[in-house]
Amino acid sequence: MTPNRDFYTGLIATALFALVLFVLIPIYVKVPSFIPGFAPPPNMWPRVVTCVGLVMGILAIIFAIPKMREARGEPVTTFGQTLYRNRKLIVRFGAVLIGFAVFTYAIPAIGFVAATILLLAYLFLMSGDYSRKTWMIGLTIVFPILLYLLFTNITHTPFPEGHLFSALSADFMTLI
Amino acid sequence: MWNELLYAFEAVATLPNFIAMAAGIWGGVIIGAIPGMTGTMAVTLALPFTFYLPPVTSILLLVALYKGSTYGGSISAILIKTPGTASAACTVLDGYPLAQQGKGGKALNMALVSSCIGDFISNISLFFLAMPLAMFALRVGPPEYFMLMAFSLTIVASISGRSLVLGIISACVGLLLATVGEDMYGSFRFAVTEDMKSGLGVVPVLIGLFALPELIKMIVFRPEDNNPAMKLGDNRLTMAEFRGSLKSILRGSVIGVILGAIPGIGPSTAAFFSYSEARRTSKNGDKFGEGELEGIAASESANNGCCGATMIPLLALGVPGDVITGVMLGAFMIHGLTPGPLLFQNNIGEVYSLFIGILFSSVFLFIAGKLTAGAFAKISRIPQTLLLPCILILCVFGIYSIGASPFDVTVLLVMGVVGFIMMILNIPAAPFLIAFILGPMFEDNMRRSMAISRGDLSVFFQSWISWGFFALTILFIALTIRREWQKWREKSRDAAPSA
Repeated sequence: MTPNRDFYTGLIATALFALVLFVLIPIYVKVPSFIPGFAPPPNMWPRVVTCVGLVMGILAIIFAIPKMREARGEPVTTFGQTLYRNRKLIVRFGAVLIGFAVFTYAIPAIGFVAATILLLAYLFLMSGDYSRKTWMIGLTIVFPILLYLLFTNITHTPFPEGHLFSALSADFMTLI
Repeated sequence: MWNELLYAFEAVATLPNFIAMAAGIWGGVIIGAIPGMTGTMAVTLALPFTFYLPPVTSILLLVALYKGSTYGGSISAILIKTPGTASAACTVLDGYPLAQQGKGGKALNMALVSSCIGDFISNISLFFLAMPLAMFALRVGPPEYFMLMAFSLTIVASISGRSLVLGIISACVGLLLATVGEDMYGSFRFAVTEDMKSGLGVVPVLIGLFALPELIKMIVFRPEDNNPAMKLGDNRLTMAEFRGSLKSILRGSVIGVILGAIPGIGPSTAAFFSYSEARRTSKNGDKFGEGELEGIAASESANNGCCGATMIPLLALGVPGDVITGVMLGAFMIHGLTPGPLLFQNNIGEVYSLFIGILFSSVFLFIAGKLTAGAFAKISRIPQTLLLPCILILCVFGIYSIGASPFDVTVLLVMGVVGFIMMILNIPAAPFLIAFILGPMFEDNMRRSMAISRGDLSVFFQSWISWGFFALTILFIALTIRREWQKWREKSRDAAPSA
């Protein structure tokens, strides 16, 4: 049998709902010692939802089995082969995750505008289409600055300046 | 009533409202015309900006974006054979052949006229149907509401994806995420970090789920766009051509209104249904697919005919019928308005203003389409590699400006990744979103019902309304299972001879 996408979907859903039901709810949903009236406890609704989700995840696995039987005549590709065949896509997806993670940590360090400029440059590089280099460079610099000016002047949003820049500017001021 | 309508007219006929509607229509047409960008994206991207606008202006902006994007989808469908939105998929069938024949402008004009007529009829139906439905809904208590929401979620879960099971999984994840934070009695749930104690914001979740997956998909798969763009060519739509399509336009509009008012169905199904009905009944039915104006008229009148009608269950019952009205429900709540029967009691002025404004937006749509169809045609060729990264940056700024919270930006990015994984696993996003928005109300009504009945579950089956919704839910599930079973059997039969 060749596992198909629905099988993996069911597997992931079952694992996720089981984790929530057996691990996360007991730890992170506290039941108060007193509940007014006959209201159900706060963990009842998450339990009901996860139970339904768990059943659906199992059903998704069960329903995927006939499809896998149908595909048994096709050449079997192992999970490792599938990963190897799609390695480029997986690397790109990993790169997106790294980019997002770095951006989240860069905001408090180098400031909002600098971080968004870096993120935009990174995304343009990752797009793989370099036929419009001038547009890309121009947009990378101008677009975040334009948005920064727009939001600070119209909505008066206080964007983080970044502690690295703040420290540098403080040192500079001390020197002066 | 007439005095209130007159007052509402005065309240709507202001410059800021007209600017919001014009901007919404133009913005919506631009976004709808760009392949890969959807009406949902248009509405969710505008959501952070509505924080700074009065309630009616905000909703009018979002409605205008919805209408504009629904029409805008036809521009790229006709000129570059790529429907800007899913609901314009039928328009491609006759629109692109017409553009190949040098009649792109004529096709766009027919799309505009039929969109505006469909939209207008839809708005009138909203005006006359929402209020009686809301008056009826005043008799509905928490148990009946709980059943109604279960019914709506079941429909959305079964229709939006290719499998009921995957739809319910998606809805369960949405309901679960909606429980993060403080509940109605002050208990914290899943508050892993301090930021999570106030729950996950509706706006970052919505934008992350609908705007970001397209960007990640573009980076990971790097698709190529090879469709040649056609020129506008012959621009005139004659009276005879319009009269020849009028029957299909009116039929399409009525189909749009009926299917739009049913939660979960939406404009794509309406467009396909209207197109097939027009093809079946038209004397030119055999020419459909080769460049028949009536085909465009049928499809476009039906998809725009849904726009006003989808707001009927939203305004009257507080139940969003599709993703876009789900986002609008979020916008109502941001401004302290709760759609549902009480809105018609407590905020009737706002409701009338909304009705009048929505009627105005049909006129704006016509003017915008007439004046700038040629310019929009150029916009549809903007490469996604430039556009999508800029949209992410716009989202990041917009989200941060709402609460000045880096946590919201993190939620946005995480939800983008979750949305992409759901896309890869074929899990539909619509049930997730509607469940996330309805989740607190769903739970609230369940807990209230249980408190009223002192824990007795039979409270959910004590009125004929509850029984009605329960029966409809079961019927819908049975029909979906039957449909999936038939599909599976057909597939097995097709596979048998080859085996």
